[in-house]
Amino acid sequence: MENTSTRKRFDSLKSFASNNSIVLVVLAMIFIATLAEGSQFLSLQNFMNILRNHAVIGVIALGMAFVIISGNIDLSVGAQMVAVAAITVSIVNKTGSVLLGIIIAIVAGCALSTITGLIVTKGRVPSFIVTLGMQYIYRSLSMYFMQGGGFYLDKEKAPFYTQISNYMLFGKIPMPVIYYFIMFALFWFISRYTKLGRHIYAVGSNEKATRLSGINTNRIKVLAFTLLGFAISIAAIIESSRMGSINSTSSGNAYELNAIAMTVIGGISMEGGKGKMSGALYGMLILGIINNMITLLGVNVYLINAFKGLIIIAAVLLQRKDSEL
Amino acid sequence: MENCSLQMKDIVKSYNGVTVLKGVSLNVRQGEIHALLGENGAGKSTLMNILGGVVPKDSGEIYLFGEPARINSPADSQALGVAFIHQELNVVNDLRVYENMFLGRELYKKSGILDAKRMCEETEKVFKKMNVSIDPRQMMGELETSYKQVVEIAKALLMDAKLIIMDEPTTSLTQKEIDNVFQIIRGLTKDHGVTAIFISHKLGEVIDFCDSYTVLRNGENVKSGSITLEDGTKIDQTEIAKMMVGKDVLSHQVYEEHNIGDTLLEVKDITVGHHVKGVSFTLREGEILGITGLLGDGKDEMVRAIFGDLPHTGTVIKKGQPVSIKHPSQAKKLGIGYLPPNRKENAIIKDLSVQDNITITALEKCRRGVALSRRKERAVAQEYCEKLRIKAGNILNKITSLSGGNQQKAVLSKWLNAKPDIMIMSNPTQGVDVGAKNEIYAEIMKLAKQNIGVIVTSGEAQEIIKLCDRVLVMYHGEVRGELSRDQLTEENIMILSTGGSLN
Repeated sequence: MENTSTRKRFDSLKSFASNNSIVLVVLAMIFIATLAEGSQFLSLQNFMNILRNHAVIGVIALGMAFVIISGNIDLSVGAQMVAVAAITVSIVNKTGSVLLGIIIAIVAGCALSTITGLIVTKGRVPSFIVTLGMQYIYRSLSMYFMQGGGFYLDKEKAPFYTQISNYMLFGKIPMPVIYYFIMFALFWFISRYTKLGRHIYAVGSNEKATRLSGINTNRIKVLAFTLLGFAISIAAIIESSRMGSINSTSSGNAYELNAIAMTVIGGISMEGGKGKMSGALYGMLILGIINNMITLLGVNVYLINAFKGLIIIAAVLLQRKDSEL
Repeated sequence: MENCSLQMKDIVKSYNGVTVLKGVSLNVRQGEIHALLGENGAGKSTLMNILGGVVPKDSGEIYLFGEPARINSPADSQALGVAFIHQELNVVNDLRVYENMFLGRELYKKSGILDAKRMCEETEKVFKKMNVSIDPRQMMGELETSYKQVVEIAKALLMDAKLIIMDEPTTSLTQKEIDNVFQIIRGLTKDHGVTAIFISHKLGEVIDFCDSYTVLRNGENVKSGSITLEDGTKIDQTEIAKMMVGKDVLSHQVYEEHNIGDTLLEVKDITVGHHVKGVSFTLREGEILGITGLLGDGKDEMVRAIFGDLPHTGTVIKKGQPVSIKHPSQAKKLGIGYLPPNRKENAIIKDLSVQDNITITALEKCRRGVALSRRKERAVAQEYCEKLRIKAGNILNKITSLSGGNQQKAVLSKWLNAKPDIMIMSNPTQGVDVGAKNEIYAEIMKLAKQNIGVIVTSGEAQEIIKLCDRVLVMYHGEVRGELSRDQLTEENIMILSTGGSLN
């Protein structure tokens, strides 16, 4: 019987670890990173760099979280971001109006994702397939209209546009970081404190029961895509402003996979219905810190993806609860 | 003890400090069908899970076929000849019958290729032993539910199981299918010395089919004995029910007189595919209308159509206004609620808490400004937990942490909170223990007294008789007859539901 008490202790330790594993992983990584010789890891500037470099994908991951919680997936986000950014840049160049560019970006991003959602729900095609197709379509059309190259911002006509992302608040905080946290606050609020947010969880958990609770489940699933579309628009604005351009072949590559990785690392289950918006934040931090650590520790850059892969699998393993075994 | 297949002595088990088994004993003789009875939460499943190696016991002893048994995993249990057939069927519909039988233990030819022929032969041998004729090459998905159950039993026999545990095997079966399954089990116990333990809430079945019983309550033994008494008669159903709940509940009168008001809902000529063929009826305020019939006779399809969950033709008129209901969300807006059958699949949202499951139908009531107010949600959930006596440790725990009866009460709460004026309930007490059953009946009576029109569909004649003011009996998608409260007898219902007529 001594066995049971040690087992109990071990169980409670295990359950603490599995409930808080993401935070523990982040802390462990920060700890390891600081051990590196002459590490600049803990400097504010380094931290801001990490956040700035991952803000764009991080914002997309926030939207991705809703879509995954609702029981779907979107593989077209990177290509869609390029398409939206291309539209935005050309509008800004043509009219010189930054405001118009932003409005069009948001409208276009939301509309495109809504269409995706409608095909998924009304057409009853799995989102994996629909968005795989959409990815090809966005990429191809972008290349067609940009003739395989990119669109560059006309800096004379709209000098303010590049400031959107390149301005440093108080000279220290890059604006993309601010946008990321505003978006995080908004999406966190929606997930926790709105009817829509609750319904998104319900649909992902048991669609049939949700429908039979008198909820228009198709509408909810489409709206989850629309929210992702909004996130993609914001990402498109940040990215095009920061780079001053958008490229049909080199921009947005593998963003969908990185965004999915962030959500999954953050404990948002691919089964739907499970996970928290804060997970998408932790997921971004973890991916960001890995990329950064590898540079700081002087590891061969070719190994970055191997580490990412390990972390993705390890994170999901850690978060698996006993009850799901 | 001689001839004992199974002896469990003083089994103790606790979860997180809560003792669920307080020294329970169970003796099962070889070759008998033993019923393990008790309300949800009495400890039956835990006891069987210990035997099946699913959970470890804290203390106690187990003897299988006279030998002390060490069971630490499901594999141990299997190796000792115990087969556990769970409530949910573990079959793969997209594989053939023989492939299911040999899943994970496939037979190979010398060349390393699957030996389909031999697997089919072995499967057929087992079926022969059971006196059933199923083609081993048929797709599992094409079989009726009872045959799927039979295949599960066959699988147990294939593994040389000498003790078969069945956890509520009959909840999804029709009467004919139940008879079928039991006949097969009876044959096995008689001719092949197999022993069976049967967990059920359906006392009628237990008395018809089992040899002996053990009743548990709150993790303790209440009584064990033979179903057939010394004088040759069988034990009374009410008596067993009393043992299960510890108080006299079955004779408890459910129906109470109440006022019936104006016409609330008129359904004209409703047709749903080939399931429902032009049915018309009316429902009045404060009326409890029963719709019964055998499984597959269209009652559930009809109410799902009215709730907007199935496409249909026909007219629905609510309070004199023709309405078009194409989606459950429209039905909800019109004040119609629906408690669906098969709770796990259709009603509970497994990743949400008890509280979130209760408030989901009417979240707009729990808002402050645009934001949801957790405090208001909590108040609503607590209100219903008290009203319906839902036993939940913490309403912020997942709904799956509740017992079946409490889950059902939570599902009912979510609709009460939406304040419908028409409430449709399909099999409202499916998979619910006796105590909770009566509480749900009482709640239905209360609804009627509040002038809500209630439609209850159920295949259990007793339930219909207990509750309803008026009953439609369906047969092959049509209403075969209507019974008023004074005509309500099991016999009349049976006559109509099998296609006969009353004179």
